[in-house]
Amino acid sequence: MTGMSDARYLRQTILSGIGPKGQARLANACVLIAGAGGLGSAAALYLAGAGLGHIKIVDHDRVEISNLNRQILHTEMSLGQPKVVSAAGRLNRFNSSVQVTAFCEKITSNRIGALLKGVDIIVDGCDSYETRQVLNRASLKHGLPYVYAGVNGFDAMISCFIPGQTPCFECIFSGNAPPTDQPTGVIGAAPGLAGSIQAMETVKLLLDIGTPLKNRLMRISGLDMRCHCMDLTTNPACPACGRP
Amino acid sequence: MIIQLNGIMETVPDGLTISGLIEWAKEGDPDLMVEKNRTYIYPADYDTCPVNENDVIEFINPNLGG
Repeated sequence: MTGMSDARYLRQTILSGIGPKGQARLANACVLIAGAGGLGSAAALYLAGAGLGHIKIVDHDRVEISNLNRQILHTEMSLGQPKVVSAAGRLNRFNSSVQVTAFCEKITSNRIGALLKGVDIIVDGCDSYETRQVLNRASLKHGLPYVYAGVNGFDAMISCFIPGQTPCFECIFSGNAPPTDQPTGVIGAAPGLAGSIQAMETVKLLLDIGTPLKNRLMRISGLDMRCHCMDLTTNPACPACGRP
Repeated sequence: MIIQLNGIMETVPDGLTISGLIEWAKEGDPDLMVEKNRTYIYPADYDTCPVNENDVIEFINPNLGG
């Protein structure tokens, strides 16, 4: 590390779980953040702050005024811009040592393989079941950890799906409800909380430290400020993995 | 028998399964998730998984927003 980066990351390199070696591992890591919305904003900022080497960020939308209650990567100056352009600019200004690659496109089963080239971990910043299904199948196919989060209202859920070690996303979430175009109500702090936890889990997985949210689904109920983890067990009938 | 359902003590009929409890509670969400005593219950097990006295059960609507 250079003198400047020594100082920049001092407050985390003094942690026994990280140290200079862990920091070097973070600097060599690459994550895909699927979505530059509420979840992706918080996760991307904390991962950039932590000194991730390469952040790939994917989103096909443009910044709208109704995004700004929660999507803290974007500002009033970025209204109308592709979200990934706004996100890349913000992340570059925040930490210029992080390589940010922006992909302004939909996440599809045809493209996900190319997007995942060189990626160590998938971070879920999506807002649809279908896109999560694409990420989940890709996670299984490429053996990559998939750090899921989802929000609704004041609530959030987070889990780490690791191929071969845990159930997968589709073991737990059925996607039976028909898709809707109606916007979901959400207070900005809910994806802020969940995205921050995703960043924490991503760092832990990259450094193989602590106890990640494997085989557990964390649920946060913001209105009563309750938080607990539900144990997840194997689902042999899963349509995606058909195994634990 | 008495169980805790979604944080509230409820008196429910004896001999229920999770399927029966969903029907009793008139839950209609097709994506409903069920947690029993802090463990996830798979939909395939709803018909056979018994509800017992003092169980703590949560009906959960999945969070899929971002």
